[in-house]
Amino acid sequence: MQRRTILAGAAAAALPLPAFSQGSLARTIRVIPQANLTSVDPIWTTAVVTRNHAFMIYDQICAQDAAGVIKPQMAEGWVLGDDRLSLTFTLREGLAFHDGERVLSKDVVASIKRWARRDPFMQVLWPSVAEVEAMDDRRFRFRLNRPVPLLLEALGQTQFPCFIMPERIAATDAFTQIRDTVGSGPFKFVPGDWNPGQRAVWAKNERYVPRAEAVDGLAGGRVPRIDRIEWTIISDPATSANAMVQGEQDYWEYPLHDLLPLMRRNRELVVDQRLLEGTYGIARFNTLHPPFNNVAVRRAVAMAVDQRDYLRAVAGNEPNGWGVCEGVFTCGAPLANEVGSEILKTHSIERAREALRTSGYNGEKVVLVAPSDYPQINALSLVTADILQRMGMNVDLIATDWGSLVQRRASREPVERGGWSIIHTTSSGQSLTLPVYHLFLRANGPSAWFGWPDDPEIERLRGAWVESGEEAERLTIAQALNRRAMEFMHYLPLGYYWQPSAWRRNVTGVFRAPATVFWNMGKS
Amino acid sequence: MFAYVVRRVLATIPVMGLVALFVFSLLYLAPGDPAAVIAGDQATPQDVERIRASLGLDRSYLVRFGEWFFRILQGDLGLSIFTNLPVTTMIAQRIEPTLSLMILTLILAISIAVPMGVIAAWKQGTLIDRAVMGFAVLGFSVPVFVVGYVLAYIFALELDWLPVQGYTPFARGFFPWLQNLILPSIALGGVYIALIARITRATMLEVLQQDYIRTARAKGANQSSILFVHALKNAAVPIVTVIGIGIALLIGGAVVTESVFAIPGLGRLTVDAILRRDYPVIQGVVLLFSFVYVLVNLAIDLAYTLFDPRIRY
Repeated sequence: MQRRTILAGAAAAALPLPAFSQGSLARTIRVIPQANLTSVDPIWTTAVVTRNHAFMIYDQICAQDAAGVIKPQMAEGWVLGDDRLSLTFTLREGLAFHDGERVLSKDVVASIKRWARRDPFMQVLWPSVAEVEAMDDRRFRFRLNRPVPLLLEALGQTQFPCFIMPERIAATDAFTQIRDTVGSGPFKFVPGDWNPGQRAVWAKNERYVPRAEAVDGLAGGRVPRIDRIEWTIISDPATSANAMVQGEQDYWEYPLHDLLPLMRRNRELVVDQRLLEGTYGIARFNTLHPPFNNVAVRRAVAMAVDQRDYLRAVAGNEPNGWGVCEGVFTCGAPLANEVGSEILKTHSIERAREALRTSGYNGEKVVLVAPSDYPQINALSLVTADILQRMGMNVDLIATDWGSLVQRRASREPVERGGWSIIHTTSSGQSLTLPVYHLFLRANGPSAWFGWPDDPEIERLRGAWVESGEEAERLTIAQALNRRAMEFMHYLPLGYYWQPSAWRRNVTGVFRAPATVFWNMGKS
Repeated sequence: MFAYVVRRVLATIPVMGLVALFVFSLLYLAPGDPAAVIAGDQATPQDVERIRASLGLDRSYLVRFGEWFFRILQGDLGLSIFTNLPVTTMIAQRIEPTLSLMILTLILAISIAVPMGVIAAWKQGTLIDRAVMGFAVLGFSVPVFVVGYVLAYIFALELDWLPVQGYTPFARGFFPWLQNLILPSIALGGVYIALIARITRATMLEVLQQDYIRTARAKGANQSSILFVHALKNAAVPIVTVIGIGIALLIGGAVVTESVFAIPGLGRLTVDAILRRDYPVIQGVVLLFSFVYVLVNLAIDLAYTLFDPRIRY
């Protein structure tokens, strides 16, 4: 072998293999998602990132438009029986799974049953459902024990969507994770390219037949306009920002608020609101143990709260970055009201201190658990800690990670034995719009969300709301619920902040929706 | 020698067994519940309990440890709680970037730090010596992530010479691979360079005082031959020891470096798994790191015989 040959070989080895041509890059949207995609089963886990993945590969029977109205998606339409005891759906023509099999009614029925085992909303309605059955290949029917006005809302919801899978996959127990990603959505998952913690890839589903209507929230035509969507997991926000600025990535789902000014200064980037609703913060009291088993202490703390302090701590002084919402229902939603919310408008440490003095508080330790690896929730926690200290409470601020917090919050023990007094979390506005799935509002004692508030009146009103059929009646009950929640004060609403997204200017077709989805988007 | 190697390899088995017991017990006692993370906010306590049961997390310590240990003996590290993928597959997906980063850092550090230390010793008390020692102090003092951000700002954002983040597999070509690793290697290598340079200087100063060096000078050997042939070889044992110990530094530093430069390596896999309480993944990765460390120590012990023929096993 000659030296020249060896040198030529070495040089060839050093040259890059053709990974992406310029053309394929132009047909790929490179995304920094909000979190790592660790599971591909949207029924097994409620992780938002898994739900966003599921929107790409699965389709829904019906979906929410931008105004929150439920519109047909896979369904051609539906017919409510004259007695309101049956609801019959007909599937659109041309629906097919990624493996080429037709989507049949039996697939839909199996998917509904698996989803209903886990969805809290559907679990409320399920006792009223006598049967879900396939009538033929394209028609399926809900037979009801009594009229269920909220059935379409449940099926078309965004919070825990009812995604349609092939029957063979949907037959899996709802508590067992599936790995088969065959759906009938506009994109196909590429399992071979999935490296959890690094990358997840979807390819266009060439056979997808979108609806003819224009895209409208999650309703309308889900047209896959791009060949490939590639998620790259970048855990460091500064690195994500640099990657966007340098054009190494095209879309960043959740930029850190601190970095928004930097992104806005770059002419190649667009920073705008993508989601239709803000993210709501709350502080949750543990009502089982002192001092927050005393409603007067809880109400005293509420008097000290000024939502603006919390929201500035999370979202800074961003123009239109946040909003005050001093009620329990999502602001701007049909049930939004502030009836009885005067206590949250007190905004006075002095008055709170005075109220605390007469509340019966005896200096009991308040254990506030803050997740230091979750910037937004950590910021909310620190503001509360400051307020409590200024009120003169005996605060023990425990900084931990989110993984430890979610375990500790399940403890019903007193603080001396590893329990807690107050925690914080955030929620999409979507999940606070209706009493039926409003997690924080529920007050059914041991079955309620962490903190386990017990208030029969709230539960009675909630039950009445589920039964009610008229809009006006629903609003009246919602107002009563808000008033009672403010009296009982089992949690503190802390307002909402907008979570903008950032994308390169050459990304086209970006539209507002209740969830981050990638159909209709392309690249110029 | 062969018998020694066999003995040492066999000795790793109880060591790994102890490591396994320690790692498992630590995770068992640590707070956190993957079932609660999986179930999410909307789940009822009953749902969380069902998920915990389906993952086998409701069983006793002894049953879980026994089952896990038996699987390990068969080379099976189990399935990730979250991804449901085999832990061996997840490690295999991540090992190349970490290995690449560590090897490049090692090459970079040794090729810079050893000459730096030698020259500093040779020029003891001069400006060069002070500059080298100043650099070493800086290398020790500035955190890896700060170096990483500064490098990314200068060479990626301002000069646009190198990418900000990511990793290109070696199979796609040497230069793309190198492009992604230059900045992380420099960032990670800072502490390592400082450590090796300091120990090289100290050992060389000692060796350069020896009689045989004076003899070599008297015989007319040139300076580079004295420094790099006569002195360095005799100073090598402590240097090699520090290089070996420094592998632990690299493993720790890789976690931070991989996060700053979004390199999909084992460091990030470990951190992500810890935050989610993905026990099988944490256990698998820690076992792997321990095994690597045991092997590195063995390699160092064997390397002593190369530099000092008086050492016999």
